[in-house]
Parts: sequence; C-alpha cells; structure tokens
Amino acid sequence: MRRIGWIILAAAVFGLPLATANTYYLYVGASVGLLTIVTAGLNILTGFTGQISLGHAGFCAIGAYLAAILTVGAGLHPAAAALAAVAGAAAVGVVVAGAALRVSGPYLAMVTIAFGIIVEGVLVEWVGLTGGPGGIFDIPKPTLAQGYLIICAVAACALWLVRNLRASPWGRAFLAVRSSEVAAESLGLSAYFVRIVAFTISAGFAGASGALFAFLNGYISPDSFGLQTSILYLLALLFGGVGTVAGPLAGSLVLTVLPELLTSLVDYRLILYGLLLLTSIYWLPAGLVGALAGRRAAGFAAAPAPPAAAPSDAPAAEGQPGALLEVAGVGIAFGGVAALAEVSVQVPATGIHAIIGPNGAGKTTLLNILSGFYSPGSGTVRLGREAVSGRPPYAVARLGIARTFQTAQLFGDLTVAENVAVGIAGRRLGNVLGAMLGAPAVRRRERRLAEESGALLAAAGLAEWADRPADALPAGSRRRLEIVRALATRPTLLLLDEPAAGLGPTEIRELIAELSALRDHGGPAIILVEHHMDLVMAISDRITVLDYGRVIAEGSPGEVRRHPGVIEAYLGAAG
Amino acid sequence: MLVQLLVTGLALGSMYGLVALGYHITWVTSRTMNFAQGTAVMAGAVVAYGCHVGLGWPLLPSLAVTLAALAAYGIAIERIAVYPFFRTASPAWLLSTIACGIIAENTAMLLFGKDARAFPSALTQQPILVGGAGFYPQELLIPVVGLCLVAGVQYFYHRTSYGKQLKAVAWNAEAASLMGIHIPRAVMAAYALSAVLAAVAGVLLAPILNVAATMGTIIGLKAFAVAIIGGLESAPGIIVAGLAYGLVESLVAGYLSTGAREIVGFALVILVLIIRPWGLLGSRPTRRV
Repeated sequence: MRRIGWIILAAAVFGLPLATANTYYLYVGASVGLLTIVTAGLNILTGFTGQISLGHAGFCAIGAYLAAILTVGAGLHPAAAALAAVAGAAAVGVVVAGAALRVSGPYLAMVTIAFGIIVEGVLVEWVGLTGGPGGIFDIPKPTLAQGYLIICAVAACALWLVRNLRASPWGRAFLAVRSSEVAAESLGLSAYFVRIVAFTISAGFAGASGALFAFLNGYISPDSFGLQTSILYLLALLFGGVGTVAGPLAGSLVLTVLPELLTSLVDYRLILYGLLLLTSIYWLPAGLVGALAGRRAAGFAAAPAPPAAAPSDAPAAEGQPGALLEVAGVGIAFGGVAALAEVSVQVPATGIHAIIGPNGAGKTTLLNILSGFYSPGSGTVRLGREAVSGRPPYAVARLGIARTFQTAQLFGDLTVAENVAVGIAGRRLGNVLGAMLGAPAVRRRERRLAEESGALLAAAGLAEWADRPADALPAGSRRRLEIVRALATRPTLLLLDEPAAGLGPTEIRELIAELSALRDHGGPAIILVEHHMDLVMAISDRITVLDYGRVIAEGSPGEVRRHPGVIEAYLGAAG
Repeated sequence: MLVQLLVTGLALGSMYGLVALGYHITWVTSRTMNFAQGTAVMAGAVVAYGCHVGLGWPLLPSLAVTLAALAAYGIAIERIAVYPFFRTASPAWLLSTIACGIIAENTAMLLFGKDARAFPSALTQQPILVGGAGFYPQELLIPVVGLCLVAGVQYFYHRTSYGKQLKAVAWNAEAASLMGIHIPRAVMAAYALSAVLAAVAGVLLAPILNVAATMGTIIGLKAFAVAIIGGLESAPGIIVAGLAYGLVESLVAGYLSTGAREIVGFALVILVLIIRPWGLLGSRPTRRV
C-alpha cells in the first residue's frame, strides 16, 4: 500500500514536465524539491537525535557559493562542483558540530544562529570571492525542465538515504541518544560523536540543496540564506512530521506552495502564514505525516528465534586468579559533603556481589563511579588491568561494564527488539555511508542483529513484545528488557541498580531464578545494589555494607547478617 | 572618538542586557522563553509612538499605556504559545513563539507601515559637549535607566516576598508548588515582566534607532546571544555580557567597519561557548543519572 503511494507520487512528480511547460509550476516544484533535500537532512539531526539547528541556511549558502565559485571561477563541471559543495558543507559541518554539540537546548540554538549570521556576514563582506551583496551571476544552468528533474531525483534520493539510515545501527543509535543519553552511553555509544555524525550528514544535505539552488537560478546572493531561511527549514520539518520519512516532503510541499497560493492577499499573507503555523503546532503535534500515519513503522521486524539459542553466550570469565574489579580508596564529595570516603571493594570475575546500606549510604553513587558517570575525587577503580576512573561512561562500557538504572532507561521510541539490537551493536555502528546506501553487507548484518535480538528476547520471555515500542512494556518487563539489553553488550561485569524495586513477590522470585541462572551458566560478574533483603540474602556470594559513604562491613550473607555494625546501621543504636 | 564609542556601546549594551534579562526571567521560572522577544521591543516602541506621536498624548500617559499593553502582550504570548507546551520535552514552544513573532511583526507592519519613523526624544536634541566629544542626552540616559531597572529587578527578586516566590519556582518548581505558590500565575508574571522590560528598551531606543516594524529582530537576537554567553541562569552574568557585547560591537563598528560588527560579535559568542559552555557566570548543571 505504502509502496504504491510512493510510485504514484513519483509518476506524478516526474510526469509534470510532460503535462505542462508552465515554467511557474516547474519552478515551484523544483523549490519544493530543494526544501525537501534540506529538511530530509535536518530530519536526521532534529527528528532522530533531537537536536535543533537554526543555522542550516549557512550550510546551504556554503554549498551554493562553493558550486558557483567552482563553476564560474574555476571552470569545473557542475556535477563535480556539486559534489565538492556537499563535501565542503559537510566538512564545515564537522567543525561547527564539534563546537556546537558541546552544548544543548537554547545554547545549541545560539551557536547555530551565530554560525548562520557569520556566514551571511562573510558573504556580504568578502566581496572579492563572493561578489558581496550583489552575489554571483551567470552560473551555468540547465533548462528549467532539466533542473526540475535533477532536483526531484536528488530529493527522492535524499529521502531514500534517510530511510536506509534509519533502518541501520546508526539510525537506532541516533534515536537512542535522543531517548536516553545516559542509557546510550552505558551501552558504549558516545552521544557527542553520534550527534556530530548526524549534524555532519545534515550539513552535507543542506550543501547539496544549496548547490542545486545555485544551478537552478543561475544567480545567488546572500539574501537567500538568512536566519529566516533557517527558521523556515525547521518549520517545514516540524509541520511535515519530525522523525518520519515522508514528513520533510509533506512539510516542504505545504510551506512552499501555500505562500504562493496566498500571494493575492499581499499584506495579510505572512500573518496567515504565522496563524497556520501556530494552529498546526496545536493540532498536528506530530506533523502532517505523523497525524496521518499514526505510529512510525518499526525499524526491523524481529526474526523468528532459532529454538535452541542459549542466552548465556557471554564470554566465560577467563578464570583470572585475582579480582576482576578493584576499587581502591575511592572518595567523592558533592558541594563539600562527602558522599563516599575511602571505599575499597574487590569483586571476583564470577558470582554476585551485593552492595547494601541504608538510604543515602552512597550505593548508587558508587555505581555511578564504577560506570564512569562520576569521576571519583580520590582513589582508583580498575577492571583487570584497565583503569576505569577518569574514563567517560561510553569508554567504561567498552571495557566490558554494563549497567541498569534505578528507573529503567529504555529507548521508548525504538521497538523492544531494537533496544536489544542497540546493545548488541554497541559502538560497532559500521560505515555510515554504507548504511545510507543500504549496502548488502549492512543488510546482512541487520538480519543477523534481528536474529540475535530475537533469540535474546525469546530466552527472556519477551518475544511477543519484540515489535512493540519499548514504551508500551509493562513495568516489570521494562526492567527485564533493560537487563537483556545490558547483557547483549556481552559485559564482563554487570551493575544492577535496585532491580527489584517495584516488583511483586512473584516477579522477585523470577528475578532470583534468572540471576542465579546467569551466574551458574558462566554469565558476567554481577554487582547488585538492592534494598530487598530476601533477594540479597538469597543470591549474593558476598555483601559489602555501606553507611554514610563508608564500608562498615563485608562478608558472606551469614556474616553480614550477624555483624553488629550492620544491625546498628539498619535499626539504629541499640541502647 | 573613543569616549563616544564607549558611551554608545554602553547605551546599546545596557539595552541588550535589559532585553536579555527578559529571557532569563522566563527561562528560570518555566524553562521556556519567547524566541520572538524582539517583537516585544518593537511593540513597545510602536505603541509608544502611536500614543505619543500618533494620538499626541503627553509622554507619561503614553508610557503607562505602553507598559500595560506590553504586560498584556507578554501574558498573551504565554497563554497562546507557551502554556500549552509547558514543561514538555518538545521544542514546540520555540516554534510557537516564533510563529507568534511572525504574526506580531506583520500585524505591526500592516498597522504601522513599512517605513521607519523618527521618535522625538523628550530630552534636548542639542548634543552635550564633553572634552571635544558630543553626546546626545538620550544616549546618556539609556544606560542609567537600564542599570536602574536591572537593579530594580534584582531587588524585586531578592528582597520582596513575591520576587522570592518566583525565585523559589526557579529553584525547584515542585517544592514551590507544594509550598502553595501558584506556578502558572508565576510563569504568567514572568512573561509579563519580560515583555515590559523589552518594551522599556524599545521606548528608550526609539529616538536613536527610529521606529519600524522590523526593528526588534536584530535586537532580540543580540539580546539572546547576550543571555546565552552570560549564562541563562545568571542575571549578573547577563548584565556583564550585555555591556561587554555593546562595547565590543561599538568598538568594532568604529575602528573596523559596520560590516564586521556582526561577524566579530557572533564569532565571539561561539568562542565564549567553546571555552565556557554554560556561559560566563553560568554553572554547569550536574548530570542526573
């Protein structure tokens, strides 16, 4: 059904020059195509990673001027000039992204606005290169019909590239980073790096649109690339439907054609335009396409699970004689208050090590240090021979430490199977160009990922949920999915932050069985922060007790249970 | 020359700071802001022009009507464009405020016309000569009024009961709400105050810049830059950043060229954010895990 829709659309678009020679229609059609190319790229940045840019007109300008200067000044073939324009815009995109994506929200908006204004200013001032306010004339241009067809072909291509990208490890990484940055980092993804890639691709798309704009008109000037233009890009994307494949096309169509229809109203035109935008933000929060299509289709359907796939294919601990994890004299203070002081713990390569203590004892703080979210003020953490302390979370995850969170941090927009696939792929996202082109190797890998995640979900009893959005999972299953996803990274050490919180007695019994099975079948070492004493006493091999940020006891469950200091900490001083 | 540039820079800079304070006030109470804050500057100037020049009213009643109208404008923006998206993760408020800005600017264009008009200063048009440099009294008045208002706003937030309530909302909305503070009303008040500050800037700048429907855009943008490099959460940072931005801009325009003004100004904004990602006096938010 969907495919037929696209075919009819393509026939209409490419048949237009046959049906009419009216230059006005063709020009408006080409303008829709140009806007579609930019917004398709912006969709990767805004729709997938959730970052906003108000400076993409700057990248369009760079593409347009590079194309113009290379053809008019250097006599390059237009196609070569266009490719150079894309590369140039993407290259500037990397630099801008490196600076811009260190910040987020309004700060990011500001950096991108500033970039756009600087580009516009340079275009006006650097008269020798850019022709100043007058711009560049006599750019070699094809006939309007040719230009129209080329632009529509590139726009179709742009939408196709974005669709492929969405259905690849990169697409999932983009959405994962938007959905929960901490969870993405805990699986080995650097949110900063992933966003830079998204920003760079979107800059390249804008560069392509700019180059085509120059060739379509044969003339460019700085006026076409102001802040208003950047705002228009964002509005078109949001109006069409952010994060959907067809959204950029729909938004571009309406926001290009509508002002043309309103030209007879002259003075009221922009007021109506503003009113329309405002009402659309009210009534179409998911955009035109989002409103029509309901929920977005899943990235991939989980493959039927091969029956005998055992979930416990995590690498067996290599029988190291010493401790796997060594925490030595770790301390950390927040605003002068010591949350942890002189904490030393050793965790062997197998078994379950529980960390307990009253509220505020510093248990979760310790987990955050072990997973790289906090950097300890003193002391060291080592995993095998590698230092953990001082590394960012994604680097710690790559060492083989996985974790869950007190409130399950799922990637709500991704399906349950995709959540697991993010864990399996981890940092290994593959070649981004291959992902956009839908290369055979990428597709084969997708099938493997689908099979693997299907198998892991089947083993965890979540197979029926595989293709549902993770947000739809009931509470108990959310935590289970989070553990499956963490295990999918094949960690050597798994950190569980209160996995029993909010579970009923039956679910806790299941959890006990699952964790014991994991331990007995060569799973990773587990550090368990937990309040639920039945659970802790039932499955822990060793227990460390924290109170006021210090270790007050350590030993087997039996020893800890009888330890006078522990009893005092939990029940208050007895007499 | 230098003294003149410094005075001009301080005058403009204090106005950027004043408008930027409007971003700060709504940001801390609601984590949203009016991206079209520049239209409030413009609206202030246009309404004042309409009353004072158009209807021929004396200055003070014109001012009173202007400030009341702009408080209503701020509340309208909050009700229409912000409240429906309050504390949602989506950037919808950003786009809806931009949409409101487009509507406001073009309505003003329709009513006021496309041309810029001169706004007579209440003060003498005779430049005061000091050591060979001439100053318009208006230029000297602007930073004084601007800084007094900033001081007034600070006093309001730190010393008055209602100001402290608003500040409590900024710190922790949930706790403030439990203490009986009416959050939606606090947000409305913040938007009203924010628009009023912008209107004051518009009225003060009108005699220098002339009144036009499009006058607000670039002021709003520079004020946003000032709010960001000062640190959205830090009022003192914003004032310092505003004055610094005005001075840099004025000096670049005077000694380099007016064309380089925007390039240098916004390049510095990026540079500041690379070195201090949360603004000059802002503090990095701690990461919640």
